[in-house]
Amino acid sequence: MNETEQELITMVLSGRAEAFEPLVTPYRGPILALAYRLTRDREDAREVAQEAFLKAFRSLGRFDLSRSFRNWLFQIAANEARDRLRRAKRERAAFEAAAREGIAAAPAPEAGRERRETRSGIMRALDALGRREREVFVLRDLQELDIRETARVLGCSSISVRVNLSSARRKIREAIRRDFPHLEEGR
Amino acid sequence: MTCRKLRKLMPLLAGDDLGPRRTRAVRAHVSACPACLRELEELREALSRFKAAAKDESVPDWSEGEWKALMVRAAGGTARDGEKKRAWGGHVLLPRWAAASALGALIGLVVLSVLFRGPGPGPAERPDPPLALADAGRAQDVVSMTMVSQETGLQIVWFFDKNFDYKGEQE
Ligand SMILES: [Zn+2]
Repeated sequence: MNETEQELITMVLSGRAEAFEPLVTPYRGPILALAYRLTRDREDAREVAQEAFLKAFRSLGRFDLSRSFRNWLFQIAANEARDRLRRAKRERAAFEAAAREGIAAAPAPEAGRERRETRSGIMRALDALGRREREVFVLRDLQELDIRETARVLGCSSISVRVNLSSARRKIREAIRRDFPHLEEGR
Repeated sequence: MTCRKLRKLMPLLAGDDLGPRRTRAVRAHVSACPACLRELEELREALSRFKAAAKDESVPDWSEGEWKALMVRAAGGTARDGEKKRAWGGHVLLPRWAAASALGALIGLVVLSVLFRGPGPGPAERPDPPLALADAGRAQDVVSMTMVSQETGLQIVWFFDKNFDYKGEQE
């Protein structure tokens, strides 16, 4: 939390809403990238990131100034992404149940995701992780938060972060062996 | 430390995410075991190349127009007077999760009040001693609090022990 951020937050809270943009502009890329890694879908990422910034504005009065503002934004975005994925999962389950009973004939929600986007190798590797593993791996290894920060952002214990990080790195290692032999070359 | 145990810790070691005590033990093994050292170096290398590839990969970005529109949307309308205006101003009161939290807290208080009353017939007839909650093996050892998202209908249950230390969650 730097002084400029603190000043900008104070300004927004005192009613000068125009201070919000300079406050969050440094994070416009990182938040969208985080949402993209977590949802693995460009459209979902955009909606998650938008919602995260809107929520950040609405909840700014509850921000604890002793915290890192960036990590607070990460936390909002990660929660938003999780909510969205859960919702999609529930919708898919409802669709499948309906399909089993012969009610629905339309394509399943999210069924077009694979076709809509050419999945990058990075994304396919992230697909192989469980939800918590992916959250932990993205925050710790791709966004380079430390273990404690990651735990705080995800609202879980450091032990849980370590356990999931360990299995995530193991799976990523396997994915590299399987799908990106070139990443192992050049030693 | 055995090779087998070390391999289990290796993913954390590769990112320097083990505690200092374990790191020392692991380093001592690795410095004397070429096979583990090689494995560790390979893992480090693979992860760092993966990270570099992820950094190089293009991720979505905002168009200027899209970003400006978002900022206007965030700051517009409800922005000027911050929380207060929205709290009294009409259709949007507080974010939905705040309402869910309040509801959860209320449920929590109800649960607590029920649990803390203890098994006795009533406080007038047999008041529980103040330390009763610390008795081992009693039903009050775990307190749970259920939160329900009004938006998604999802539930999460938080568990606390008798000292109100957070013990975990269940979705
Ligand atoms: Zn060894």
